[in-house]
Amino acid sequence: MSLEAPEPELDVGETPDGDLDYDELADLLGEHVLDREEHVNAEGFVIRPDSVETVLATLKEEAGFDHLSCLTAQQYGDRYESIYHLKKYDDPTQELSVVVPTASEEPVSGSAAGVFDTAIWHEREAYDLVGIEYEDNPDLRRILLPETWQGHPLSNDYNQDQPQIVPLREHANPMEKRTQVPDRSDTMFINIGPHHPATHGVLHLETVLDGEQVVDVDPDIGYLHRCEEQMCEQGTYRHQIMPYPDRWDYISAGMLNEWSYARAAEDLADIDVPEYAQVIRTMAAEMSRIAAHMLAIGTFALDIYGDFTAIFMYSITDREKLQNLLEDLSGQRLMFNYFRLGGVAWDLPEPREQYFQKVRDFCEYMPGRLEEYHNLLTSNELFQMRVLDTGILPPEEARSYGCTGPVARGSGIDYDLRRDDPYGYYDELEWDVITDDGCDNFARALVRLKEMEQSARIIEQCVDVLEDWPEDEREIQSNVPRTLKPDHDKEIYRAVEAAKGELGIYIRSDGTDRPGRFKIRSPAFCNLQSLEVMAEGEYIPDMVAALGSLDIVLGEVDR
Amino acid sequence: MSKEQSEPELHDTLEQAQSKQDARMGGGVDDRFNSKLRQAFGSTPFILTKFDKFMNWVRGNSMFMLLFGIACCSIEMMHTYATKHDLDRFGAGVPRASPRQADVIIVPGTIVSKFGPRLKRVYDQMPEPKFVVSMGSCTISGGPFQEGYNVVKGAEEIIPCDIHVPGCPPRPEALIYGVLKLQEGIRAGESAPVTVKPYELEQFGDLDDDALVRKLASEIDEDDLVMRYNWADSP
Amino acid sequence: MTLAETISSALGLEGAVGQFVGGFIGAAIVGTFILANAAVAGPWAKRKITAAFTDRIAVDKLGPLGIGIIIPDAVRLISKELIVPEGVDRPAWDIAPLLIASSAILGFAVIPMGQVGPVEFQLADPEVGLAFVFAVASIASVGLVMAGYASNNKYSFLGGLRAVAQNLAYEIPLILTGISVVIFAGTLQLSGIVDAQQQTLVDLGPVGIPAWFAIVNPFAFILFLAANMAEVGRNPFDIPEAPTEIVAGFQTEYSSVYFVLIYLGEFVHIFLGGAIIATIFLGGPSGPGPASIGLLWFLVKIWGVFLLTQWARSALPRVRIDQLIEIGWKGMLVLSFANLVLTAIIVGVIA
Repeated sequence: MSLEAPEPELDVGETPDGDLDYDELADLLGEHVLDREEHVNAEGFVIRPDSVETVLATLKEEAGFDHLSCLTAQQYGDRYESIYHLKKYDDPTQELSVVVPTASEEPVSGSAAGVFDTAIWHEREAYDLVGIEYEDNPDLRRILLPETWQGHPLSNDYNQDQPQIVPLREHANPMEKRTQVPDRSDTMFINIGPHHPATHGVLHLETVLDGEQVVDVDPDIGYLHRCEEQMCEQGTYRHQIMPYPDRWDYISAGMLNEWSYARAAEDLADIDVPEYAQVIRTMAAEMSRIAAHMLAIGTFALDIYGDFTAIFMYSITDREKLQNLLEDLSGQRLMFNYFRLGGVAWDLPEPREQYFQKVRDFCEYMPGRLEEYHNLLTSNELFQMRVLDTGILPPEEARSYGCTGPVARGSGIDYDLRRDDPYGYYDELEWDVITDDGCDNFARALVRLKEMEQSARIIEQCVDVLEDWPEDEREIQSNVPRTLKPDHDKEIYRAVEAAKGELGIYIRSDGTDRPGRFKIRSPAFCNLQSLEVMAEGEYIPDMVAALGSLDIVLGEVDR
Repeated sequence: MSKEQSEPELHDTLEQAQSKQDARMGGGVDDRFNSKLRQAFGSTPFILTKFDKFMNWVRGNSMFMLLFGIACCSIEMMHTYATKHDLDRFGAGVPRASPRQADVIIVPGTIVSKFGPRLKRVYDQMPEPKFVVSMGSCTISGGPFQEGYNVVKGAEEIIPCDIHVPGCPPRPEALIYGVLKLQEGIRAGESAPVTVKPYELEQFGDLDDDALVRKLASEIDEDDLVMRYNWADSP
Repeated sequence: MTLAETISSALGLEGAVGQFVGGFIGAAIVGTFILANAAVAGPWAKRKITAAFTDRIAVDKLGPLGIGIIIPDAVRLISKELIVPEGVDRPAWDIAPLLIASSAILGFAVIPMGQVGPVEFQLADPEVGLAFVFAVASIASVGLVMAGYASNNKYSFLGGLRAVAQNLAYEIPLILTGISVVIFAGTLQLSGIVDAQQQTLVDLGPVGIPAWFAIVNPFAFILFLAANMAEVGRNPFDIPEAPTEIVAGFQTEYSSVYFVLIYLGEFVHIFLGGAIIATIFLGGPSGPGPASIGLLWFLVKIWGVFLLTQWARSALPRVRIDQLIEIGWKGMLVLSFANLVLTAIIVGVIA
């Protein structure tokens, strides 16, 4: 091997300094590009509905856009539009939007399912909520709403007051037609959930079993579809939206979620955030991350150890400590509502020294505590026996399903938006991105445990920075107008690294003080989709473990 | 305590309790705990009232909880069961995964249209006497999501609730207070009246034949259970 | 004097009538005693022990340390509505809980539980005592299968199948390990096995280490302990119940009295497992002090085993069904055969 670093091979459209040359990309696609739009985060190429698959395949193979981050569907007065937000796992700052307009009368578009597996669910959601039909999608049915629902709630002419009828079918096998199992005489269909101790909420797994082995599994979601996007579209930018992100990923990850909205809206409305507020945000967000990972580890242990395990209780004990810290900071235990556009709600609690001491105490306490988790979990041979080499998620599949966060990093994908697409104060601090090549349940748990250590490191550094901050420069909020009205038709897609992975927000402003379209790219939604890959062929307990290691939150999956 | 002395007093309390119930449910006596024995006796003899008191004490002091999580509130619910708050101190912390073995269901989160029938089913699967703690704003009224197209405006539209714990989410202390109040109520012989809820499970064939039913007739069998949501009538 | 004899002589009855009445009342006393132990263990001790492992307090409002919770818990469970789900296989569904509870209690008929004063707590002492205990204890697995199959519920069904596979895989190593003790003791009679453990193995001045088979053959003891965990279905082998996988396994559909029976049966089963371990490995009721407090030592030993199961519950992961079968057939069966052969050779050489 030569000592010199090899010249990184450049994808088509990539400039040597890591930027994108959109002209070159447009040339690559040639006549497919009908028009070019300017979004805040990236350029959008307008293409014809029937060339979706060709365009996305070209971009994936030749230009290196291997990450279909999100699909936003929306209805304008005169047309429907699907926007495919593309990124690269190697460098998520290189973004491209592919805009596919379809006619109002007949909203039929081509499907990206042949290029990205993750598109199947995204297109199902778009069909369900907005009403665009995707030809060639292998499985186009409703995903969040019951299959007997009338109308598409995010389309313009939806009447919210019309009655609906929801059936309760228990024993009918809804997978009869879909399952690929050839000989069904020896298999058994079983509903796991929506009320089941292992589903971490109200997830419904339609499972076909052969003895104890899972032959086919289909997650049925939507039992907690609380219309989060509609709620956000009804709220004003300045104050009314911020409480809702807390409730997407409700496992104390509120700070991280709030940051996703704050980042998107601040970039949309050109709001600067004072450095001091960024440090506070970083510290609060990492506290949230530890709390969220704690619960992930605790419930994972619950799935494997049974419901009397001490590990779960220990993790809750540690979460209590964090929640106390977060409560001191924000005034709430779970739904913080602490971020504001342009900063945070208020400064650190007084007396500051005491608060710093409490945070430091916690950071010192963490490593010893983590060691205990390692003793109880990762170095327990029975535990290893259970989780090593089960629930395998190969990196190629993980990319295709759009997995991010600890799930992707447990499959060896080195992808962390905190480092790759820096925001906040992260690029000033010293910390490592944890990855593991195990690709199994064990690797994902291990990544979470190690990430907590890194988060504690970040918090410690933040405290150091905050302690030395000059007293007269503690600006917690920049000057933001009372009513925010971003320019008409300004579009943005921005993501942050939340507890479960890449949490992205798409906002289109329509010139008023409320968003015209608000779309949430939920990491758990994409991660959950890969359950099929992990679970099929495994035993029921392994499927339960795989689900636990995915660490989904139904509030975020269903939104 | 002799029978003569205690009787008028007992009748008084009974009447009070009944009038309170009547006021709440508008007619009809709540006979959830009524037994054949009591019906045979006609009135309520001394021995049965003592027995009643004992049973109320029993039910008010020990309860198995259904292991049931929906949304945000379930996180605080877990904290309530766990180390710091330890709901089990009050005899109410044994989680059972099967509804057949549970006494109390804490409904911790937003009920959406798709989950409504399932909630009803889980509730129906629990054996009497059963109690419902509705936890958080969403189960009270739909909370912050009340205006959503898919959100049921409170758990009480589907199942009867014994006690509401407000908050978004309620703190563990609040939930403990709620459970204690529930226990107090049970010990005093109160329980939620079982009334017909706005949204019930019905067989599809029994629904009125309107445009929506006709439209769905090809998709749903006559004897499938369904829940019909009339959003326009919701609070 | 045995318990039955004491009762019949106290009542002044003799002959067959005396034997019958004495035996009957004696059985009632022993059964009640065991059930009382299970009643303390189920609603109270289990919660307190788990709470101690997880830094909690658990029940503490009624009576000292909350032990009063036993009364409301028991009464409430029994007084609940008994739901008979649609489509259950009726006689089988009703018999299963009875079978689970009674089989475990039946085992105590032959266990020598030691003395209280002059009275010897052992109902019967047949020559095939150990075989009888194993035989009745394994009837419970029939109950589990019946419960699982008759419930008309897929989770119950999976639980029943798991129970059967598990019990088959662990009954054999359990009994084979038990036989190695029989070879040492030279008898199947439980009192004989206890007597064989009475001598002192090593004399360390004031303290004599008794010749308990757990000390003579610790390998067999550990093997038996592990197999027993699987037999009573506790972590790491609690897979027939496995709440996070198959809801509550075979007992998913049971409520009220039937649930109480299954719940009690489980605890009695743990105690029976403890009793077998105490009898064949830990010298039965023997311990320091006079023989008249033997029952106390016996209780200490069976509660010790109970504590161990609860500890395992808080600390150990549950293995997967295929791994469990593998451990059973490929690991423990082989080890227990090795143990058996080795014991036979040692005993043959020494004797």
